[in-house]
Parts: sequence; C-alpha cells; structure tokens
Amino acid sequence: MSDASKTNDQVPVTVLTGYLGAGKTTLLNRILTENHGQKYAVVINEFGELGIDNDLVVDTDEEVFEMNNGCICCTVRGDLIRIVGGLMKRQEKFDGIIIETTGLANPAPVAQTFFVDDNVRARTRLDAIVTVVDAKHLPARLQDSTEAAEQIAFADVIILNKTDLVTEDELVEVERLIRQINHFARIHRTMRSDVAITKVLNQGAFDLNRVLEAHPDFLADEAHEHNEDVTSMSFEVENPIDPERFNAWIGDLLAQKGQDLLRTKGILSYAGEDRRFAFQAVHMIADGDFIGPWKVDDERKSRLVFIGRNLNRPQLRRGFEACQAN
Amino acid sequence: MSAAVSGDTILEQRGVQRALDAFVVAAAFSRDGKTVAFVLGNGTVRLVDLADKQNWRDVAAHDGAILSLAQDGGSSGFITGGDDGKFRRILADGTIADIFSAGSRWVEHVASFPGEKGKGLLSCSVGKLAHVFDDTGRKLKTLEHPSSVTGLVFDAKGKRVAASHYNGASIWFVAAKKDSPRKLEWKGSHIGIAMSPDGDAVMTAMQENSLHGWRLSDNQHMRMSGYPGKTLSLSFTKGGKWMATSGADSIVIWPFTGGGPMGKAPTELAGGDDITCTRVLCHPLQDAIAGGFADGLVVLADIGSARVLPIAKAGRGSVSALAWSADGTHLAFGTETGFAAIVDFTK
Repeated sequence: MSDASKTNDQVPVTVLTGYLGAGKTTLLNRILTENHGQKYAVVINEFGELGIDNDLVVDTDEEVFEMNNGCICCTVRGDLIRIVGGLMKRQEKFDGIIIETTGLANPAPVAQTFFVDDNVRARTRLDAIVTVVDAKHLPARLQDSTEAAEQIAFADVIILNKTDLVTEDELVEVERLIRQINHFARIHRTMRSDVAITKVLNQGAFDLNRVLEAHPDFLADEAHEHNEDVTSMSFEVENPIDPERFNAWIGDLLAQKGQDLLRTKGILSYAGEDRRFAFQAVHMIADGDFIGPWKVDDERKSRLVFIGRNLNRPQLRRGFEACQAN
Repeated sequence: MSAAVSGDTILEQRGVQRALDAFVVAAAFSRDGKTVAFVLGNGTVRLVDLADKQNWRDVAAHDGAILSLAQDGGSSGFITGGDDGKFRRILADGTIADIFSAGSRWVEHVASFPGEKGKGLLSCSVGKLAHVFDDTGRKLKTLEHPSSVTGLVFDAKGKRVAASHYNGASIWFVAAKKDSPRKLEWKGSHIGIAMSPDGDAVMTAMQENSLHGWRLSDNQHMRMSGYPGKTLSLSFTKGGKWMATSGADSIVIWPFTGGGPMGKAPTELAGGDDITCTRVLCHPLQDAIAGGFADGLVVLADIGSARVLPIAKAGRGSVSALAWSADGTHLAFGTETGFAAIVDFTK
C-alpha cells in the first residue's frame, strides 16, 4: 500500500454494473449488511429492497451529458458530479462511494466522470468497476446487446454469478467468453453474489501491478481476435519510455481510435525517473500520474493494456516500442 | 493596495469569527437585516443577531447536509433545502417548520422573492422539478424541466423564475395560468444561473469552465470562455452594469453596458496569486465586489479604482459562502473547513 499516501484524502469509488437480474442488488445488499465497520454512500437509480443500516443511500436519475470539448465520445454523468459535490459537504467522511448503474448502462460515462470533472477528481478516485454477470444468460446477452460486452470490457472485477444454474462445462465456456473480451479482469465465481467484500471494494484496480499479480500470463497471446468484437491486448517494452514520445503517440492514438478503445491502462517506466507512471484512459479521455517509486527488485518494464474493438496488434506494438528512449 | 491595511486587520478590528465544525455551505442575512444565518454540512444552522454578535445560536435543522439557503419571503427568517429531502423554514428565533418534503430526493436549490403579508414567493428544486410556493408555504405550481435543475433564481420583480439545466435554461411566469416556459437553448451542461437586475440577461455557468448567456430582448447569445475553473459563482452589481464571476485566479468582471459583454475584455481584480477565486458577491449598493479564494483569502474590490481591501488572510479553508446585508454594512463569509465570520463596515 505504498501508493496510498497520494490518495488518502480521495474517497474510493466502486462502480457496480451488470444486467438486470444478474445479481447486482443482491451483491449490494451483501456489501451493505456485512459487518465491516465502514460507512458507504450508495448511489442508486431507484429505491430497491436495500437493507440499509449505517450507510447513506442517494436516489438519483442517471443523467448522461455530452461535453462540449470537441470529443464526440466524451460523456459524463451530470447527476454524479452534483452528488459528489453534495456528499463532500457532509460532515462525516465516507470510506467509499458505491455507484450502481442501471442494467443497460454503458459504463463509459460514469468512468469518464471521474476523469473529466476537476472537483470530482480532487475528492474521489475511481477504485474499480465491478460487473455482475449471470452465468446462465451471459452468452445470450452477448449475442443480443452491445452493452453486455462493454460492461465486461470495462470491468476490473467480474462477479460470475448464479454458477449453480450451469454445469462446469458451461461455466468454463462462459469464462472463456469473458476472457476473450477482457483478459485482465479478476473473475470470482459466485452463487447468490456471495463474494467477500474485500474482493469487491478497495481493489486499487487502476494500479496495474495488482492486475499483474493476478495474471502472471500478462503477455500471453489471446487465442483469436475478431475485429468487431471487444477484445484485449497487452504490450511490454524493456527500455525506459520517453514521456514526450509516449504522450504524442497515445494522444494521437486516442484522438483517432478513441471510440473503439474502451479502456487503456498502463504502468510506465520513464527515463530518468524513479517513480512509476500510471496511465489510464476511457475512450479519448486520458489521465496519468506518478504513483510511487519502483521497488528495488521490480523489473522496470513498461506495460500497456488495451481493451476495445478493431485493435491492430502489430500497429499498437510498433507504436509503443517507438516510445522507448534512445 | 493600501499599505496601512493588510491580512487580517479588518477581520480583527471589525469582525466576529468562529471556527465551526463543518463545511459552511452558504450564508444569508434576513431581509430585515437583523439576523445572519450560516448553514452547514452537518445539518445545523448558526443564527447570529447583529445586535448580539457574540451569541451564535446552534439550531439542528436537517438530518444530513444542508445544500441551499435563501432569505425567507417575509421580513425575517430563512429557507433551506437539505439532502434529507426537506424544504424548511428557519425563523430568526430558531423555530423550524417544514414547507415541503421530497421523500428520498435531495432539495438542491432554493430561491425566494420578498413580499408583504404573504405576497412573497418561495421555490425549491428537487431533481427535474421546481416547486413554487406562496409565502405561507402553499404550493402554487410545480414546473418540470428536461433534466435536473442546477440553479434557480427569481427575477428582480418576482414575475418570473428561471432554472438552469442540461442544454439550456427555462424561464417561467409565476402567475401564468398555463405553464409553458420560454426555453433558452444551448447545447451542454449548464450548472448555475443568474439574471441581470433589469431581467434582460440570463447567464449560466457551464461544465466546461465557461459562461453562456441570452439577451432576452433580441435573442442574442453570449459566450465567455477561457476560465481555468468553474464559474459557479455569478453576481451582478446593483445597477447591472457589471457581472462578476468566480473560476479564475482573480475576480473576473464583465461589462454589461455599451453592447457588452460580447466583444469587450473583462476586468480582473485581486489576481496574480494563482489561487482560484471560488465565490464572488457584488455589494448591494456600490460597484464593489467581495471575493473569496480557494486558500481562504477574502477581499473587497472596488471596480472604479481597482483597489483591493483585504478582509481575511489565507489559511482558513476554501471560501464557500459570502453574504452582504441589504444595506451593505455587513459581510458574512464562511469556508469549507468551517471558518465563519461577520465583518461590520459601519463607522
């Protein structure tokens, strides 16, 4: 937790997505009723059967607003900007904010809100996007909607729920479908959303090192890639990165392909810099910051992950490799 | 800059101050000028009678954070909105009464217009709805907007109420038998609103750190951009000659005369420290502006001479509330970290 000092004052935000009936509300109830001694603010779009004890529930309408910043895919949740502003006026400080989205929601606007609005950025940090999927119905949802794939693509944590309704073979197949879209999310198999709260909240999921711990096969090539399907790719370079070259390349790439690039994240080793640089983007909206020093026994490699459509592996690799300092 | 006065001199010589224990969300003077209210993020109100300024009375008003404050429609007292879904009236003696309950929704904005003996108007916004009440608390109408209301204001005559929202603003005639708004449209997220004293200019703050405006008489649009931060705080001078805004590292003032503000350069006062101005409020009688900054600095700037009088020095938290008494003799201010003060400019 050496990186925590920077973010101590920022309230971690967990975004909970998933189709209606996948088990989101059940998971939320588990989080809220578990005796964790923490205080959460929970943002929901309709009052459901929530067992609220110590926590604050905020009832909202999802309001997705376009930004006038020349970026066509830049949308934010206007209601969240107001709610975060309101919550920060409260005297008690929250241990976390949990945002439940509607079943058909695209996760991009909620994620982008935490990049775009200065006040929100100053006070909160996006901790993880958690997607609950129904093991039995996911294959059908992936066929009949684009949102199901996007919710998986955006996820840092996937709760593969209702495992009791499928066979082991079906389960393996569903996991394969998920991995095809998002190679890097942590998957937890559950029945009735029974997952430990420690696997959902405070994941620090934007720290790629933790993703790597979970995936030693970080660079393993995915079996196949269909252009129109959402998929994920990862790249690694050995030599330190030249920040100017990287910024020019990634800026250009996001501007041109941002609509297809759902999520981009990376940990970079900059030339002449002892701290790790964490980069992340949602569509065209990017953000980056130093997140504490490399440890003595760390391999100082730069790594980048793309999750999106129409990913061109050779082009992305060449582009990233060209960012290395001479 | 006056060499004789610096830092906290004014606050120490002419002010009373308190370190309160919560975010100061807003401050207001009652219309009779006798009482100041500070509303806090812990749901309490501090009431201070100007005749007895050392006695700060603590009233528990909401179960949660108070989100908004205005003077009551009558001569004394206040109205408040909270994240507990309550729209309440707080009398100067600390008595609390419910005007409206919004259930699980937040009461985000409140506004009022003064009137004698029950002729005053009150309004509060809850999500997309703005409710309008008479001074007795009887609901007159509910106005529905295309998205959540982000700012609410009566015009200077109490004839119209205007609300900002996504893609523009709506202006409603309070007395209309059939409610249909004049729609002011401009793409994007509008997050705050002000009306000029003559009621001709409607200005909004925008999500993209800019301002938009509409001149109602000739349907002209106004666009002012280039701010580094949010322009949430907007205030017209008494005659409407100037409008001051927050959002830059100075108090930015736009001229609304001679065809302005379009094509005219703004004036910047009290700048140069690279600290964002978070609150502005024009003096009720003179062309002067109180400005509060993110580091806690509070100043009074005179537009004509560009002189800046420091009132409180930096270091007490980002300024989150400013209020003038109607006669301009007293200024109240507060910060996010709970500092609050009342400064007396008489003598």
